[in-house]
Amino acid sequence: MSYTAVFVAHNVDFHYDQVPALRQLSLTVQTGQCVALVGANGSGKSTLLRLLDGLCFPAAGSISFHGEPLTAANLADNKFFLSFRRRVALVFQNPDVQLFNPTVFDEVAFGPLQMAWNSAEVISRVDATLEMMGIANLRDRPPYRLSGGEKKRVALASVIVLDPEVLLLDEPTALLDPRSQSQLIDLIQNWRGTSKTVITATHHLEILEDIADRVAVLEQGSVTAVASPQQILSDSELLLRANLVHAHRHRHGDLIHSHPHLHSHSKHEHEH
Amino acid sequence: MHIPDGYLSPSTCAVMYTGAGVGWYASLRRVRRTLNARLIPLISVFAAFCFIVMMFNLPLPGGTTSHAIGVSIAAIVLGPAGAILATSIALAIQALFFGDGGITTLGANCFNIAVVASLVSYACYRLIASNAPLISRRRVFASAVAGYLAINMAALFTAVEFGLQPIFFHDPQGVPLYAPYSLRVAVPAMMLGHLAVAGLAEAAITAGMVAFLQHADPALLSAASGGAAATLAAEPIRPNSLRRLWITVALLMFLAPLGILAAGTAWGEWSLSGETHYTSSSPSSALHRLATIWTAPMPAYAPPFVKSASFGYLLSAMFGVGLVLAGSLLVQKLWKRRSTAGSTP
Amino acid sequence: MSRRGAIASTLVGLSTALGNALVSETIARKPGWLQSLDPRVKLTGLLALVLAAALSHRIGVILALWLGATLLGLLSRVSLPTLATRVWLAVLLFTGVIALPALFLTPGTPVLSSPDGKLHITEQGIVAATLLITRVETAATLTTLLALTTPWMQILKSLRSFGVPQEFVMMLNMTHRYIFVLAESASQMLESRNSRTVGILSSAAQRAIVARTAGVLMGKSIELGNDVYLAMQSRAFRGDTKLLTGFRMTSRDFLALSGFLLIAMIAIWLGRA
Repeated sequence: MSYTAVFVAHNVDFHYDQVPALRQLSLTVQTGQCVALVGANGSGKSTLLRLLDGLCFPAAGSISFHGEPLTAANLADNKFFLSFRRRVALVFQNPDVQLFNPTVFDEVAFGPLQMAWNSAEVISRVDATLEMMGIANLRDRPPYRLSGGEKKRVALASVIVLDPEVLLLDEPTALLDPRSQSQLIDLIQNWRGTSKTVITATHHLEILEDIADRVAVLEQGSVTAVASPQQILSDSELLLRANLVHAHRHRHGDLIHSHPHLHSHSKHEHEH
Repeated sequence: MHIPDGYLSPSTCAVMYTGAGVGWYASLRRVRRTLNARLIPLISVFAAFCFIVMMFNLPLPGGTTSHAIGVSIAAIVLGPAGAILATSIALAIQALFFGDGGITTLGANCFNIAVVASLVSYACYRLIASNAPLISRRRVFASAVAGYLAINMAALFTAVEFGLQPIFFHDPQGVPLYAPYSLRVAVPAMMLGHLAVAGLAEAAITAGMVAFLQHADPALLSAASGGAAATLAAEPIRPNSLRRLWITVALLMFLAPLGILAAGTAWGEWSLSGETHYTSSSPSSALHRLATIWTAPMPAYAPPFVKSASFGYLLSAMFGVGLVLAGSLLVQKLWKRRSTAGSTP
Repeated sequence: MSRRGAIASTLVGLSTALGNALVSETIARKPGWLQSLDPRVKLTGLLALVLAAALSHRIGVILALWLGATLLGLLSRVSLPTLATRVWLAVLLFTGVIALPALFLTPGTPVLSSPDGKLHITEQGIVAATLLITRVETAATLTTLLALTTPWMQILKSLRSFGVPQEFVMMLNMTHRYIFVLAESASQMLESRNSRTVGILSSAAQRAIVARTAGVLMGKSIELGNDVYLAMQSRAFRGDTKLLTGFRMTSRDFLALSGFLLIAMIAIWLGRA
């Protein structure tokens, strides 16, 4: 086992009630890597992120963080719990789930307060984070008065205030307008090349090259391919099988032409 | 049935706060003993849900609409402790944030709507549904009855709290200082509306949601199933903890003055001097007659010691609970007989 | 009410309530007298006045308290029209209707009789009805002022500092938060159903829609509750909230508190039996 591996998931099984979500899933993530998890809805991306964040535990197999197994028993230890929670952060797909405090300031302060930092430090750190995320003007706003993009930024702020080593992002671009999307992508790109590890679950294929060095494809709860974004994107058979693109049919005169198709903002080009 | 500030005297409010406080304390303790941290967001969201449900207008037969409270379904899904907390929180937010429903009377509202209704709903549902399979019509029926009875019990408690005001709190000239109607007027006036309309709304939404859940997510109904594994807050209920439930109910009876007008005229009087000042005006005598229709049961047979006010309340409280219990048991027996007689349950 | 109206009126009700909530947040941020006070002072002081109104046997005292409350409102940028529409009219309609029969039903000395001698309005009835209405109006004005001039977060923190258990405050907090989330969900669901139906719906159909919506809403609620718990755990929550302290009483706050309590005591004394 490499010492630079931050996460090692080995033959992980997981189910919700009786429904299997992850089957014999194995994946290794190195420190400082930016990884994208791609897969159709229901392929297990969100579930995997939650397991990596120690929120649920595998029914079979193991997950370890820098060599330490992530189990309920280990996380019951206060020291490990606090250390892990500070070093690993998860941003949920639905920001409402993550905004449960009365104001933006309170939300961002929640994590530091749980870490028992002293008040002065909490206040200064929170304000600095709000500045950095460009939401200082939203400081006293209650969550129900925020737009979708603002909510996402507050959710992000609330986890990066602790300066985590690992960021787990679940569909971060979902429900965002184009400008907010590109701001988010810029943020992720800022972390590339640093020692931060970023794992992003997405089915937004156009951004893969921007946000990831490696892409892992999930199909029905297992990892079926790990490669560079370019390799994955050019493997149209894989993309089709994994339900990441759909076949698009159109006529050219008498010919009916079918090809894997990805809706994007760029020009639509394909070979005949 | 939400009581605004000003309808109840401060001493009544204090008593009701005590009653509610007992309910809150017991529920909190129970919640703490089970999975504390996980329940907090669950109860909160359920409280938000109750709040929203209170805004749903339900059209009822006869062309009226009413609104349900959601406490009955909360008791079925979360169990009584969770439901008491969730409903109390919804009521507190109504009062503190939306300025809707009194703050001095928050204790009374929580007692009537959160505590009484939760316990009645849960008890009825458990009694009538007992061990029926999670997906059965019996459970839907049980939940409808539970909802209906729960709301009416809450209304009854409210009505009695109103009705006692002029008896205890009036000035020397006989002016009622708070709610001005005696039990004879308050109880029928309030109960009519709830027996006929609001009770149906709560029954409809409770049954409707149980039926929906049976198809969508039966696991959510398992908390009050008595048999199936509990996935939510409640621990699987064992028979002796049901007994504890009845003891709690009995204790609450001792704390709260309430009553069905079953015993004598001693505490239906207006003034302590014993004279009735009803004028001969038709509306009041008509209402009077209406009120006496169902105060009939025990008047002449009440022994002298029942004339003591507090004992009278206690007696009626027990009588009331007994009625509800007897009713539920009867229904349960009838249903059992019907199902064993013919088709499979 | 029209058959289709129940769902539509629910939608109206939802948006009105939430709209009102947003308005109160606006008022809470204005520079007014009540807004400048420590929230604990407001909570204690205003409730003391409500208690005084509740204990008083004299209408005059209650009216004075009502007047005082209105003045406090004006000093706090709460206009008369706002108070009238949010509080006074609603109370008058609701309590007025309830109090009306008391005029006739309260036993006592008749003051006004109908020509045929069958209907009597008694003196006691008039006094009782007036007492009730003025009490309810005064209390409602005071509690509304409390709600309007105090941001929700501060109400919660004051409750905490008064010793309300931490779990309660947390639940109040999150419930408040999720009322808005669920209301939006409910509105969207009802609106989509409303727009998809053509013609008049029967009562039974409407009931079915409401029950289904409520059921789906409940499912979403529980899922939301579970997910929120996970999100909280992810941020190191294990059952114990730690709050930033922030309240400090200034001399102005102490003065205001003494003022409130003094007035309340005088009112109670003047209004005694």
